[in-house]
Amino acid sequence: MSIKYWLDLYAVLIRSSIRSRMQYKLNFMLGTVLAAVIQIAEFLMIAIVLNKFGAVKGWSLYEVGYLFAVMTLSKTLYRTFASDVHHLENYLTTGELDQLLTRPVPILMALMSQNIRLMPGELLQGGAILYWSMHGLMSSGQIHWIALPYTVFVIFTGAIILFSIGLATATVGFWITRINELQTLTEDAAQTAVRYPLILYPSWLRSILLVVIPVGFVNYVPSLFILRGEYGSWLVYGIAPLAGLFLYLGLKFWKFGLTRYQSTGS
Amino acid sequence: MLYFTLASKAYARNLHYRGAHMLHNIASALFGYLYACIWIGIGQDRPLGEYGVHGMIGYIAFTQASLWISGFITNGLGIPQAVRTGQISLDLMRPVHLFVLCMCREWGQIAYQFVYKSLPIYLLYMLLFSLTLPTHWTTLLYSLIALASAAYMSICMNYIIGATSLWTTESSWLYWVNHALINLLAGFFIPVEWLPSWLQTISWMSPYPYLLYVPTRIYLGYDQSASLIGSLAWCIVFTLLCLLVTVIVRRKVEVQGG
Repeated sequence: MSIKYWLDLYAVLIRSSIRSRMQYKLNFMLGTVLAAVIQIAEFLMIAIVLNKFGAVKGWSLYEVGYLFAVMTLSKTLYRTFASDVHHLENYLTTGELDQLLTRPVPILMALMSQNIRLMPGELLQGGAILYWSMHGLMSSGQIHWIALPYTVFVIFTGAIILFSIGLATATVGFWITRINELQTLTEDAAQTAVRYPLILYPSWLRSILLVVIPVGFVNYVPSLFILRGEYGSWLVYGIAPLAGLFLYLGLKFWKFGLTRYQSTGS
Repeated sequence: MLYFTLASKAYARNLHYRGAHMLHNIASALFGYLYACIWIGIGQDRPLGEYGVHGMIGYIAFTQASLWISGFITNGLGIPQAVRTGQISLDLMRPVHLFVLCMCREWGQIAYQFVYKSLPIYLLYMLLFSLTLPTHWTTLLYSLIALASAAYMSICMNYIIGATSLWTTESSWLYWVNHALINLLAGFFIPVEWLPSWLQTISWMSPYPYLLYVPTRIYLGYDQSASLIGSLAWCIVFTLLCLLVTVIVRRKVEVQGG
């Protein structure tokens, strides 16, 4: 079967997932508004501090806003299409993964089309902060229009990196079943850390965020060139093969993990 | 006795997951460490008010550890789950008031989190950042009272959030909004006096400062026991609110499954 066949099938599954979610419109609207409130509150936290105290280690409020927005948008993209990869623990503890295994589609595709989460609240909020920060940086002449396509590019590569990390973390669940605690470390804490410039952290922590859990490549590393012109454009282009490599390793690990899956639950 | 049994069961249930929770503690401690690093970065070139850099590290360490007492409460006290499974109808039939039942179970949870999460995390910070304990025992006593009041308020807030699950399937969003507001208005990362004046006004009109800011200020010796009056007043208001909510819930009860 061709790639087109699988993509068409995936599109059908996604459409049906969205339709099922839209059966509860009021809940969807409530979720959207409240998600936006959460995002605003999170950004206000750092915006207030930087507004009061000025730049932090040479990073202005606009620059930190850019880091925050790119991370938010990459994460939104990842969680929209791979919500249930993140929630694999539910499938493992209840034994629901067995049902997916019986379907005539690759298990990852079945999982990724289960509960597509439309996240307009996060998308709007991330987009608004990105617009505000890039507008501010353009007005001061720090960046030019070319930063825009670069930014779109790194949002997509960032989503791939986050997906790869999420997939690798979920795969560990095939051995230990409960992964929420691990996800707090590899996803929540790591993603929160790189909303701020890595220069704030000691070198051991920076190394972890670039090598062990490579979230630093989602926003911080590309922003060194996009916002500050440091190193060169290869810094941005180089992230694509790196994201590809992380994805390849993540998928390999996932396939290996699946062979170790033992059903649980009632 | 029944109330104590409910609480101790919740405590004992958690004991089985001590290993996993210790891993979680590392992540939680890391969060606080990140925030401390940010304040260290900011404080490198400028003074940080009455706190100073070391004071702000102590502030972040205490609020991060206290989150497990007044922040990370069971989502809606488990009521949304009970509504989904139909268990809520049985809970309402029990010869125990629903609010008291949920509250006692949560006290057990909080007691566990205090022993196995707050204390280890704070001890880690004490070693890492060379923090010291308050010199007067009364400071410790008032801090504990402030924290206990904060825990009670948080239980009440989550009871009300849980009750909304009878009207919407998305009540968990309210839990996360509440959490985001704790981060912003309770002085978790930024002391309330550094918020813009309009946000300070909103913050002090709400119970949020009493969840983290007030206990932290008392613990660090910046505020005295008089601040506890506000905590107690909010506890009374929340108790009345929860009793009122229970009356409404009894008339509304609806289950989503079974």
